[in-house]
Amino acid sequence: MNTAVTPAVATPGSRRSWRAVLRTAAEPWLYLSPALIFIMLVMLVPLVIGISYAFQAISLMNPLESGWVGLANFEALYEDRKFWKSLKNTAYWTIASVFFQFFLGLGLALLLNHGFYGRRLVQALVFLPWAVPTFLSALTWAWLFNPVIGPLPHWLAAIGILSEPYNILSDPNIAIWGPIVANIWFGIPFFAITLLAALQSIPHDLYEAAAIDGASAWQGFIKITLPFLAPMIAITVMLRAIWVANFADLIFVMTGGGPANSTQIISTYIFTTAFRKLDFGYASAIAVVLLVLLLIYAAVLLRLRQSLRLVN
Amino acid sequence: MARIDIVDLCKRFGNIEVISNVNLSFEEGEFIVLVGPSGCGKSTLLRMIAGLESITKGDIIMNDQRVNDLPPRDRNIAMVFQSYALYPHMNVERNMGFSMEIKRTPPDTRRQHVDKAAAILGLGSLMERLPKALSGGQRQRVAMGRAIVRDPSAFLFDEPLSNLDAALRVEMRLEIARLHQRLGSTMVYVTHDQVEALTLADRIVVLDHGVVQQVGTPMELYESPANRFVARFIGSPTMNLIEVAMEDQQLTMKSTHSAIPLPALVGAESATQLGIRPEHLEPMPAGKGHVQGEVEVVERLGSDSFVYVQVPGAGRLLSRCNGNTRLQAGEAVGLSLDPAHLHLFDEKGQALR
Ligand SMILES: Nc1ncnc2c1ncn2[C@@H]1O[C@H](COP(=O)(O)OP(=O)(O)O)[C@@H](O)[C@H]1O
Ligand SMILES: [Mg+2]
Repeated sequence: MNTAVTPAVATPGSRRSWRAVLRTAAEPWLYLSPALIFIMLVMLVPLVIGISYAFQAISLMNPLESGWVGLANFEALYEDRKFWKSLKNTAYWTIASVFFQFFLGLGLALLLNHGFYGRRLVQALVFLPWAVPTFLSALTWAWLFNPVIGPLPHWLAAIGILSEPYNILSDPNIAIWGPIVANIWFGIPFFAITLLAALQSIPHDLYEAAAIDGASAWQGFIKITLPFLAPMIAITVMLRAIWVANFADLIFVMTGGGPANSTQIISTYIFTTAFRKLDFGYASAIAVVLLVLLLIYAAVLLRLRQSLRLVN
Repeated sequence: MARIDIVDLCKRFGNIEVISNVNLSFEEGEFIVLVGPSGCGKSTLLRMIAGLESITKGDIIMNDQRVNDLPPRDRNIAMVFQSYALYPHMNVERNMGFSMEIKRTPPDTRRQHVDKAAAILGLGSLMERLPKALSGGQRQRVAMGRAIVRDPSAFLFDEPLSNLDAALRVEMRLEIARLHQRLGSTMVYVTHDQVEALTLADRIVVLDHGVVQQVGTPMELYESPANRFVARFIGSPTMNLIEVAMEDQQLTMKSTHSAIPLPALVGAESATQLGIRPEHLEPMPAGKGHVQGEVEVVERLGSDSFVYVQVPGAGRLLSRCNGNTRLQAGEAVGLSLDPAHLHLFDEKGQALR
């Protein structure tokens, strides 16, 4: 009986169910569409347009010679000594800044994780660099390094780091340390706060168990604290490095990339190329290179983190 | 193995005294249970023995050495935490061998010790697992394994079974008893569960508000509690208490002045409360026995029955009878008090003997 009835019903039934399947599949996308469209508009469109600039000649100085030029911008970039110098500076600036930001931030977090008198005050002060506009911080630091009004050159000379109190921002050999010091000051709170949060999430009884198992404070730090912090360290260092590599404000205000391009990093080079020379095509080409480098960096770090987790 | 002496020990958190003048001696190889209600200071006392909590006043002496100022790692004790405190990023093997890893024991020796402990606890197949992939009972075993590997002179347990379900708790209780028989080490065990205390302990220390109420073997505590607190805390169901007074050489119920016709009792003159355990209160036909009342509720557990009897002047008394009683709710009933098992308490709650 059943077998006789089924074929007659099956055809319209299956067609209807096919449509129903399609509808259930489409329905979530319909609900997601506002968010998706918004993300496309806000992120994808500018990205694509920006990347497309890299393959065009768009210079406001030369409005007549605009149009697609293929890889010409990148070829020029390859020959550009200023580009290679700023790439090297970027690496130096990023590594030095993040290194000191991280270790000083970790130290501060460990300190704040212990109760001591006046801890709340210190904890509030830690946020201070975030309360000041970057522009003002940069100006203040520039003044601090200025021997006419700032104390730092005199102190540095007094402890023998400088031969005489001069402005390090005007010495091409060490000028980059001016913005780096400002950046360290600026970036410590980020590490201190995120690492403090991670520290506070470690159950206290693990340290007690370790103490009973015979661990010294240092062994407790190595065997318990660090493994617990590792994921947070990986993610914060990665994010921070990308952010610092792109962070042009301090350098731009303090040295403007000078003297003699000794503090020029990729992002300040992009900025000056685009908004001083008004060569948007070339600036986009540099930006695309920076993007690719950072993507590779992120991929490597994520892979590294995965393998670290497997080891543990 | 360790002998532990606690002398005039006090602990204050700010102005609050959590441990008051505690004096105790634990013999080598003894299984001591610290028992008391939640918040009475059991964990604090245990943590002071472990060295995790500073000592406000007094001394802790292990094998004739004063250890007040020794850090935990120099006391050669192992502790099993209520939360287990397993290292979540290490597998079972590393968790158990952590103390040897710290001491940089060669991996071969480490492995031997860990395998031995794992065999005792039946953990052999779990060595590669992370704690998060273990059940509650397995975690408990790993925590005990970690303690065993250390081969300590004393084991400290802080409510190790309170996170387990009832069936598992019974099983692990047996396991701990077996472990003590096998290792013969001094063990100090903290619990708020008097059943664990009665079943495991060589001697029980009852604490309340940081003050030692009584120290004794389980049966000493059960049969002759030193005060009302111990009497009510040890034994399940709890002891019945009747407000009493002495009138004309006769023990009477305080509120109704009706006599309780019992033979003369030692110290009865100053008694204000009479205590009797449910199993020493026997239902009788109405009119017989020492007091009269009406059955309120009968709970039948198969092996025995709990009969709640409302007695005018004494309130609700609980009688425990073997097997299945025929009594029904609403029935008039007499209760006979076993004169050999009466407890009298004075105004301050001290037992009169
Ligand atoms: N670190 C601390 N600071 C202040 N009070 C505490 C601290 N630790 C415990 N206490 C208090 O001491 C008392 C005893 O605590 P505890 O020993 O944990 O009790 P128990 O283990 O018997 O439940 C409690 O009233 C508790 O609030
Ligand atoms: Mg406790």
